[in-house]
Amino acid sequence: MPIVEIAKLSKSYRVFQKKEGLGASIRGLFHRDFKTIEAVRGIDLTVESGEFVAFLGPNGAGKTTTLKLLTGVLTPTSGAASVMGYVPWKRENAYRRRFALVMGQKNQLWWDLPAAESFRLHQHIYRIEPQQFQKTRDGLAEVLDVQHLLGRPVRELSLGERMKMELIAALLHRPEVLFLDEPTIGLDVVAQHNIQTFLKQYQQERKVTILLTSHYMKDVMALCRRVVIIAQGRIIYDGSLEGILDQFGGQKVISLLVADGKMPDDLSRYGELLLIEPPRAKLRIERSKVTEVLSAILSRYAIEDISVEDPPLEEIIAKVFKDNKEEGE
Amino acid sequence: MGLTAAYFRVFLTFARNSLVRDMTFRGNFIIDSITSMAWMLLNLIFYLLIFHYTDFIGANTAENPGWGRYEFFAFFATSLVINALLQAFFMTNVDELTDLIRTGGLDFILLKPIDTQFLISLRRVEWSSLSNLALGLVLLGYSFVHLAYIPEVVQVVLYVLYVICGVAIYYSLMIALASSTVWMGRNQTLYDFWFYITTFSRYPMEIYTGPWGQPLRSFFTFIIPVLVVVNVPARMLVRLLEKQNWPLAGFTILAAAASVAASRWVFQLALANYRSASS
Amino acid sequence: MLYFTILRISIAERLAYRVDFALGTLMRFLPIVTQIFLWDAIFRGMTSGPGPIAGYNYHDLIAYYLLTMVSRAFSSMPGLASSIARDIRDGTIKKYLLQPVDMLSFVLMSRLAHKLVYYGVATGPFALVFWICRGYFSGWPDAWTMLAFIASLLMSFLLGFFLEATLGMIGFWFLEVSSLLFVYMLVSFFFSGQMFPLDMMPSYWPTVLKLIPLQYMAYFPAAVFLQKVTGPQLAWGLAAEAFWVVFFYLSARTMFHYGVRRYSAYGG
Repeated sequence: MPIVEIAKLSKSYRVFQKKEGLGASIRGLFHRDFKTIEAVRGIDLTVESGEFVAFLGPNGAGKTTTLKLLTGVLTPTSGAASVMGYVPWKRENAYRRRFALVMGQKNQLWWDLPAAESFRLHQHIYRIEPQQFQKTRDGLAEVLDVQHLLGRPVRELSLGERMKMELIAALLHRPEVLFLDEPTIGLDVVAQHNIQTFLKQYQQERKVTILLTSHYMKDVMALCRRVVIIAQGRIIYDGSLEGILDQFGGQKVISLLVADGKMPDDLSRYGELLLIEPPRAKLRIERSKVTEVLSAILSRYAIEDISVEDPPLEEIIAKVFKDNKEEGE
Repeated sequence: MGLTAAYFRVFLTFARNSLVRDMTFRGNFIIDSITSMAWMLLNLIFYLLIFHYTDFIGANTAENPGWGRYEFFAFFATSLVINALLQAFFMTNVDELTDLIRTGGLDFILLKPIDTQFLISLRRVEWSSLSNLALGLVLLGYSFVHLAYIPEVVQVVLYVLYVICGVAIYYSLMIALASSTVWMGRNQTLYDFWFYITTFSRYPMEIYTGPWGQPLRSFFTFIIPVLVVVNVPARMLVRLLEKQNWPLAGFTILAAAASVAASRWVFQLALANYRSASS
Repeated sequence: MLYFTILRISIAERLAYRVDFALGTLMRFLPIVTQIFLWDAIFRGMTSGPGPIAGYNYHDLIAYYLLTMVSRAFSSMPGLASSIARDIRDGTIKKYLLQPVDMLSFVLMSRLAHKLVYYGVATGPFALVFWICRGYFSGWPDAWTMLAFIASLLMSFLLGFFLEATLGMIGFWFLEVSSLLFVYMLVSFFFSGQMFPLDMMPSYWPTVLKLIPLQYMAYFPAAVFLQKVTGPQLAWGLAAEAFWVVFFYLSARTMFHYGVRRYSAYGG
């Protein structure tokens, strides 16, 4: 029995021309110009208990909106969803006690108080048994290595440390489902890695179901097997990570820095020219051709620097979307 | 643990956290206490000045006694008490609601397994406003000393009850206005509206007489019941329990209950229409 | 020429909020409604029959409050001091230092724009209210009084501006000025005559209070119109007002000058 079931879930917004002032507001009650934004367009999804699913997609794709629908923050325009048997937007206390949502760069802890005080508030709001509360809190603090920071006001902590505190707060009541919205956004590489390691371990130990959104490939690669790509409010890919890389990681981007300002004018014969701004150039080529092209370029031209990268995620996703669209036509 | 006990415990944690925070910024706390008292003192001086020139506010007839100096001070003290309670427990929180709606901060609150209105309305306790409460009670005592009159226990109990009703009515108005942010966006004029409405209720309702005054008085008693907020408890305490006051007193309780119910309805409606912030 | 452009742009900006202005302006008169009833009750409560309070009878008092709305319209500078202090605190003030625009003049033009538009739109509601309440006035005063009235209003605009600007400049030396500003707001509400005509204060207080510049923010222009201040007192009052304008203009300038120097010394 899947723990999350989503059927044709949709959410659209009417965006009005909001003007300031009482007069305009009153006028606005009678007539307003609006346009409709469809944030989520009929998505279907099932998630089994214990899965770790990543939602990938460019900004504005609808990932966060989906999470907000599943956590009851938003009410959908149409469609249905159930998490652990509850309808999220009914906002039943019984449901709210069993999941947690963490949003990257958004703080729910009291700013001027030590995290410990916010945790204590959590304890009372979620009615966690005192002994259990202490054990959970201390356990989490130890794993995340922040015991010494529990007494420090949250505003004095670094971004990474704050994120760890947010995670602890979210896990104090031992939720069965964990929703994470861009949890590593804005963090430095070390902090990102720490969070990723922690999440992976936590998930393995406690077998919670985790739904995570991100637009960082690294988050996804480190953590999950199953990836759902959302673009323009629709799911356009639902499968394994390897599947994506196999399909679309088949291209690489070569970045060049030419020496002596001598930009060759026939680079386009090696591959698709993405950028040419002397002394820089970027080429997209098939993965299989990398060695061949590299040796050709290096032997022919004076190159100061060269690097080979995966195309940016946005590109891969855009391509996936485009390909899907073409298939559908 | 019983539900009420659980909620109460959460509230105690709110109160405690707020106190800890206020003590951290002790300087600000002291300044806030002093400035709120300063405002009260300035008003008091104004009223002292008025009674320098007159003996009553409102013509002093047999059927409608005017408010003498100390009676009026008791009235003013009541308004202080009510405002202090409102500021201590609700004002900051309801104010913040408009920001939460606008910035999407309401999201986190919606995730908690606890009544949302409770969480929003009581998160923060402004301890510095209690200085005004203390001052109001002192002024009240002082007035009664000069009136050479000790209210009966019944009156005191009713006073407390009606102060609570008054706070409830003001609170309901505030939260309904704040909830409207979901539809109307940030609106300074709405805040001003609140301020102007409450200025009507700062004086004894007897001052609203005459062809213009009567309808005004009726409107602010029965439609938007702000006039009963300070008037009814003050009358209860200062005037003896006159029979003519009973209907109004009864109405006040109804008005308080209705206001709370209506404002909760508006609040729930606002939550259902909440759109969060785009991310 | 530059400042005229700034003025023009600011006006265009403000004009967009017309309806809000009109409604908001009308709402500002609501407290007067309470005053109308309150003072009536006060006069009726006089056991020996209604008599003038410090030279003001009932109609005078209502007229006084209405007139203070006019003086406040000229002299109030909402948020000026706090926004200057805030700009200093978070460094936005550097923008003014880098541009070839004198900050004080810029802000003055901006405020002037706001006031002009305010009057443009608010004249309607104001006139309406005054016409409705014309029964409280005993007609128009003579030409000289009108002249003095207008002069006092214009000066109160400048005085209000430079006084609040000076207060804001304190931000160069003290980080937290919000409490100070709050105290000022409270004090000025009382001592400017917004709450009641200063003449109502007992014994020597009126004389003392008229020495400080706060009276020009609300009390003085209203009293001039109602001819409660006449003859040599009037001339003296106007001269003192002019003195205060110059005083605060100089203090704002000086504080700005030294404040900026200090500011740069600390690397902003």
